[in-house]
Amino acid sequence: MHPISRNPTRLFYQPVIGFLALAAFALLGYALWLCLHNIYLMGTKGTQFVGLQNFVRLATDWRGLQALWRTALFVALATSAEVVLGIAIALFLDKEFRGKKLVRAVILVPMIMTPVIAGLTWRFLFNAQSGMINYWLSTVGIAPVDWLGNPNVALYAVLVADIWQWTPFVVLLAMATLETIPKDLVEAARMDGASEIRVIWHVILPMLRRTLAVAALIRAIDSVKAFDLFYIMTKGGPALSTETQNLYGYTVAFTNFDISYAMTIALFLTIVTNIALLLLNRFAMPKGVR
Amino acid sequence: MLRKILFYFTLALILFVTLFPLYWVVTTSMKTMRDAFAMPPVWLFSPTLENYGKILTNPAFLKGFANSLVISVTASVLAIVVAAFAAYGIVQQGPARRRSIEGFVLSLRIAPAILFVIPTYYLSMRLGLLNSHGLLIAVYAFINIPFAISLLVTFFEEVPREMREAGLMDGAGELRVFWHIVLPVVRGGLVATLILCVLFTWNEFFIALVLSGRDTQTLPVTITSFLTFQGIEWGALTAAATLIMLPMIILGMLVQGTVVRGMAAGSVKG
Repeated sequence: MHPISRNPTRLFYQPVIGFLALAAFALLGYALWLCLHNIYLMGTKGTQFVGLQNFVRLATDWRGLQALWRTALFVALATSAEVVLGIAIALFLDKEFRGKKLVRAVILVPMIMTPVIAGLTWRFLFNAQSGMINYWLSTVGIAPVDWLGNPNVALYAVLVADIWQWTPFVVLLAMATLETIPKDLVEAARMDGASEIRVIWHVILPMLRRTLAVAALIRAIDSVKAFDLFYIMTKGGPALSTETQNLYGYTVAFTNFDISYAMTIALFLTIVTNIALLLLNRFAMPKGVR
Repeated sequence: MLRKILFYFTLALILFVTLFPLYWVVTTSMKTMRDAFAMPPVWLFSPTLENYGKILTNPAFLKGFANSLVISVTASVLAIVVAAFAAYGIVQQGPARRRSIEGFVLSLRIAPAILFVIPTYYLSMRLGLLNSHGLLIAVYAFINIPFAISLLVTFFEEVPREMREAGLMDGAGELRVFWHIVLPVVRGGLVATLILCVLFTWNEFFIALVLSGRDTQTLPVTITSFLTFQGIEWGALTAAATLIMLPMIILGMLVQGTVVRGMAAGSVKG
């Protein structure tokens, strides 16, 4: 009946959301088209329709599968470490003391530091010859470790940098929630003679559940996409030991210029992530969070 | 007493770990080559501005600075203008419609950048756009819009409904109410959102790495080109790093509370 909605406030968002939706679907359609063809910028062959060939190739690509496994490992370790450490620090800071405002400001610094610079800095600190980490280890008598050059430890070095940069996010999010918790409830539990650990476990943590779930979800999504620290610190090396799926997709696209196959990797990564998140949301999240 | 000492000791440790990397970059940028690589490290040294002199006369760095400034400010302003309208409209809708729109906006923010960077790269390559500022501004504006919408929605929500209704009762049109009544109230939120958009765009690396050309390189890409195989000049590199990150740390401090709110916006309330 009415070609234009009678509610004028809809006109404020419809053009924008409509445009975004159109652009998103066009890009997704184009991405699918790329996946089903064989666009390779270094070759001379014309573009051909190849069907699902790229997906078959991915299913048997050992390097890609290893990158996928590494991504899962990194996401699991980074997310759990950041959430556990973040909540611990937030609980630790949940009291009145002088300079709390300043502490909060300091904790924000890693999050807003340019990620490329954070990567450079950690590369500098992890340097085998002149890095501070090895220097400190040497003061307690531990032999120097080639952090970024040893395939067995390089991933964990990047992990440390990621934890440094993103634990503050969990801390600040949890601190904000802790401030909204009614203090008398906590006081009452303490008056009843409950030990501090019981108060935290039975009174405070249940009220933080929702915030924690959100923090974990956001950190998990972001660490799947982690790129900057990896690119700067190791570029996927040594011996591909830090190559995540995202990095592999980048290399295939912009070093090998195998556009179609890189697109397939990117699409696959997105699908796997979404399925994992859905399952996590469905089964692992506490009730009421959804 | 012991508890108090333990508390401040742990606090000091947390602050030390948090700030040490920053401290180390900034001090290294003011050291001479010999002090920078001294082992054991020198804690007291006479600072020099030699590295800054070197980097501030480096044409590649200055070019990158100009590019970063132009691209991040333009893309952010564009995004805020568009997102302010959208956020105002979204807040006025019923809960069901709101949830579906906000869900869609959130899904745009979650999608990995590589998913749309590859098609965009291929398309712009064929159109010969890979070395234009317009491409980067458009892409960053496109990315900033969903983020700005989710954050601005939280500010528009806080405007009392009565204000808008009173304006409508007085016979003002929806556009006048938006412009003269609601926008002045959320001015602080608009500025904070703008600052955050600038901060994220300035710091962004992946998209810039792929989609920028020789003339449009932003600072994060420029600084990686200083990492050459002939050996890294850490003095100049850390001076450049300090100049790149310090403005953003200052901006971030100005909008402290909004940083976390912005990153969680749209997902906390679900």
